[in-house]
Amino acid sequence: MGQREDWSLRLEAVTPALRRFARALCVSSGAAAADDLVQTAIDRAAVRARRREFRDADAAPIAAYEILISLAREKVSTGGDHRAAPREPALLRALADLPFEERAALLLVVLEGFAYDAAAAILHAPREAVVMRLMRARAALAPLDLHPSAPQDGVRRAAHLRVVK
Amino acid sequence: MDESELHALVDGELTPQRRRELEDYLSQHKEDAALVENWRRQNAALRAAFEPVAKETPPLSLRNTAARIAAFGAPPIESGAVHWGRPSSSFRPLRRLNEPRDARTRKALIAAAAVLLAAASIGATFMIILPRLPTPRAPSHAQTTTHGYVERAELAYATFAQDTHPVDYDAAHKPEMLAALLERIGFAFAPDLSVAGLRLIGGRLTPGLQRPAGFLIYEAIGGERVALYFEPVEEEPRELVPPRTDQNLTAIEWRGEGIAFVLLGPLAGDRLQAAAERAAYEIATPARDEGSGR
Repeated sequence: MGQREDWSLRLEAVTPALRRFARALCVSSGAAAADDLVQTAIDRAAVRARRREFRDADAAPIAAYEILISLAREKVSTGGDHRAAPREPALLRALADLPFEERAALLLVVLEGFAYDAAAAILHAPREAVVMRLMRARAALAPLDLHPSAPQDGVRRAAHLRVVK
Repeated sequence: MDESELHALVDGELTPQRRRELEDYLSQHKEDAALVENWRRQNAALRAAFEPVAKETPPLSLRNTAARIAAFGAPPIESGAVHWGRPSSSFRPLRRLNEPRDARTRKALIAAAAVLLAAASIGATFMIILPRLPTPRAPSHAQTTTHGYVERAELAYATFAQDTHPVDYDAAHKPEMLAALLERIGFAFAPDLSVAGLRLIGGRLTPGLQRPAGFLIYEAIGGERVALYFEPVEEEPRELVPPRTDQNLTAIEWRGEGIAFVLLGPLAGDRLQAAAERAAYEIATPARDEGSGR
């Protein structure tokens, strides 16, 4: 029983991160579709965990990521993906324009903070391939120019400016 | 230098030893340093864009999934409907399935009772107190002024920023715009925020809290729109607006020369802060003499 609760708690704990990842991975298909994928992924990971397919509780969240990615990949290849609205911020548009595998690699590493080896395991790809995808994704996003913010010289830092929101 | 090593640096994949070596290398090679800086900015932008999703409380269905399967096993039917054919020696699992619903019903009943009670007590209070009160007054001045420039600015932002025709005067007609705003508001200035990466699109008059206010729209290179709202203030606020968080908009408020300024837009806090500092500097700086014409 203890073990069972363990994986179920792990899955619950990783749900917010899975939603964030799904939202970014399926950036062009919207929040509801992304949440649907997360639901299915958790469902399937939980079923597998309940059948004691995993050696330890930590494997359940990893499996959820794997399942989520393969579901999303299926969806993209069947063309269920529609284009981002032109009004969306440039970053999201550029993200949507990345090839699926590159987007997945980039988001696993950057958004979810997986090490290269862990990301490679989740993607069932060699580490070098994952690094290549990451490099290509970053090169594709590079022209975005996400921006300078260094205060210009001569501008003293104004103490009376407050972030109120 | 192998580019993949630069990526490894950004992603924290290097040993501390190698990281120090690379950092030394970067201090000598500006081009590679710029690449690394660009990737770090990408990372920050991506995280900023999606972090709000992780901060939300997931929908109930998602929160329950794992626990439900832990307790009852796989849903026999994909829809999650109760599968009456499931072999079971007792009705207990079914009762447990009903538990969340029962709990909801109970909560709803309690809430309904609480609302009725509250309504009744408010009604009673009014019946007792109302006749003794002087005639209701309009909300006091302070109430309407101390809170609200940010809200006004947000409203204007929501109304105009994404509109197909966001401004009445575009940047090409800046002198006319400033003249018109000066006439109606008594103050007009459009700071040049290009050093902060913001290009003026134009401006318009918008309803303020007490009088017409100015509303200038800038565009960042990424396409995000940032707005500068300004309205003359009659008195200094006694109470400052407490910090609030919103998923998209960051707002910075400041006062100067008897004017309340609010800069807001869907940018990261530090970027907007830099733009606000630039704007405050331009507005306060004596170069403003030529300002009304710019």
